[in-house]
Amino acid sequence: MRVIIGYGNKLRGEDGFGIDVIEALQKQELPNTKLLSTMQLTPEIVLELLEATHIVFVDAAFSQTDHYALACSREIQKDATLSHHIAPQTILMFLSTLYEKEPTYEIFSMLSANFDTIEDKRSYQRSLNAVVAYLSILKS
Amino acid sequence: MKKIIIDPVTRIEGHAKITIDIDADNRVSDAKIHVTQFRGFEKFCEGQIYSQMPALTARTCGICPVSHAISSIKACDTLLGVTPPQAGINLRKIINLAQILQSHTLSFYHLSSPDFIYGFDAKKEERNIFKMMQTHPQMAKDGIMLRAFGQKIIQTLAGKRIHPDGLVPGGVEKNLDEATRDTLLAEIPNAIRISQESLAFFKTNLTKFQKEIDSFGVFPSLFMALVDEHDNLEHYDGKLKIIDSEGNVLQEHISPEEYKEFIGEAVEEESYLKSPYYKPMGYPQGMYRVGPLARLNVAKACGTARADNELLAFKALNAGKPVLNSFYYHYARLIEMLYAIEKIEALLKDEATLGEALHRTSKILKTRAVGCSEAPRGTLFHDYEVDKNGIIQKVNLIIATGNNNLAMNAGVKQVAQTFVNAEDVTEGALNRVEALIRCFDPCLSCSTHALGIVSSNIELRDHNKNIIQIFKRN
Repeated sequence: MRVIIGYGNKLRGEDGFGIDVIEALQKQELPNTKLLSTMQLTPEIVLELLEATHIVFVDAAFSQTDHYALACSREIQKDATLSHHIAPQTILMFLSTLYEKEPTYEIFSMLSANFDTIEDKRSYQRSLNAVVAYLSILKS
Repeated sequence: MKKIIIDPVTRIEGHAKITIDIDADNRVSDAKIHVTQFRGFEKFCEGQIYSQMPALTARTCGICPVSHAISSIKACDTLLGVTPPQAGINLRKIINLAQILQSHTLSFYHLSSPDFIYGFDAKKEERNIFKMMQTHPQMAKDGIMLRAFGQKIIQTLAGKRIHPDGLVPGGVEKNLDEATRDTLLAEIPNAIRISQESLAFFKTNLTKFQKEIDSFGVFPSLFMALVDEHDNLEHYDGKLKIIDSEGNVLQEHISPEEYKEFIGEAVEEESYLKSPYYKPMGYPQGMYRVGPLARLNVAKACGTARADNELLAFKALNAGKPVLNSFYYHYARLIEMLYAIEKIEALLKDEATLGEALHRTSKILKTRAVGCSEAPRGTLFHDYEVDKNGIIQKVNLIIATGNNNLAMNAGVKQVAQTFVNAEDVTEGALNRVEALIRCFDPCLSCSTHALGIVSSNIELRDHNKNIIQIFKRN
């Protein structure tokens, strides 16, 4: 099974990118795909990933340049603490260490520095459409 | 004379730094926690319609939004003069207890258990949750499972795990049906098993930490908590009770609306965190503690079988008098986790919980209201003044962590004086200073209404408050 996790906060402008992607995907009937929408990645989300063979993380990532470009932000968790938010790599480590699960994964990060509003709605929508198209055509 | 600064403090919720002042004889003369964030929720809520307050104030925090929503809707109930139906009250209680369960689980498993497993002197890289996953995988899994259970209850009954929107004035939005109730009840036995095993693990390991038990914030103070009409543990309703360190009752049967008669709020120059105190004793002598330790000290019983058994052993720690050692916040937290699961089970099994959960009304009958509940970290007050149209004129929030500010500072000083040697500042000593703060499980996001960042530093300062050294903690 493929699991797509969109995470972010829709009250914080472009940080809601992952959530918007999930909302768009929910309008399609993607086979063998589970859609998850959450404000943050937290440890207990691993329990929803135990059946996943492939995980797609969709988020907005802070960047001073290249806004609305799609990238793969492999955020490394700098400290060994768990709290409000943990990185995708940490989720994968949980799955591997505790549950002996080694799913493949992809990370889509829309680069942004606008966490108050959606500054350029057209560019935002273009990025969103690109991710949705990729996830609904190539992987379904 | 020099000063040690711990900045950022790690494994807490929010941003803080600690300063440790060293005198001319190289002894610790003082130590303080400084909360360095500010957001100003009380101010920007002014001008909003009352009905927005549960959602707005829940945004204070991503860890305990439910607690803010609960206190807020209780205040709104009073503004509207509405009493929620029994099902609504029961569901609110369940949601509040689920919040306490998931938050306590985060505190114990994810933030503090590495200290208990590997010891306070273990190397930093070997004293964390990732190491724990390798050496104690079942414990790590149990932590995930228990927190997920709390979150699932919140999501199921209140709409979302974080910032749920189902908690509204007059009750809760959604009635509970039998099938959903049974699904939640099916997970209770496993949750109780995990909770009991966690308690057993903690109690078994207590002998390793006698020095910390004896020096982590051990001092006389007052204790404050809500209790029910039988003086039992109460997290949702009840009256305020304040006792001293000998167990003498200073105040009881206080309605939360009267809190201003007993609680003053002092402001210190070096911190955005307010310092509430017990007014009759003045500032800072009126230091009191809230949260799990205070709740178990103030309550005569929990009211559930397993937790009451554990409470007997807990109260025996100081021969029936209040337990003064802040290290035992962890112990109290674990007992509360067990209590929360048992109480959730009892409330789910109450047939009244399946009834209509909401009374809808929107007419403002009062212009001032105080909503009070026990959040994971202690007593939480939401005090609103509105005009006749329900527009917020004034807001005062007293947050659990703020209530503990004076006690946390006293504790930091005590731990620094016990463990910090200015000539050779060890990682173990710095970790203990931080660990004292973790006993209180402060949520600085809430208490300063500030942005949640998990980090802090320790600064070493001389007698002129000049920084000698800064220890970066992540």
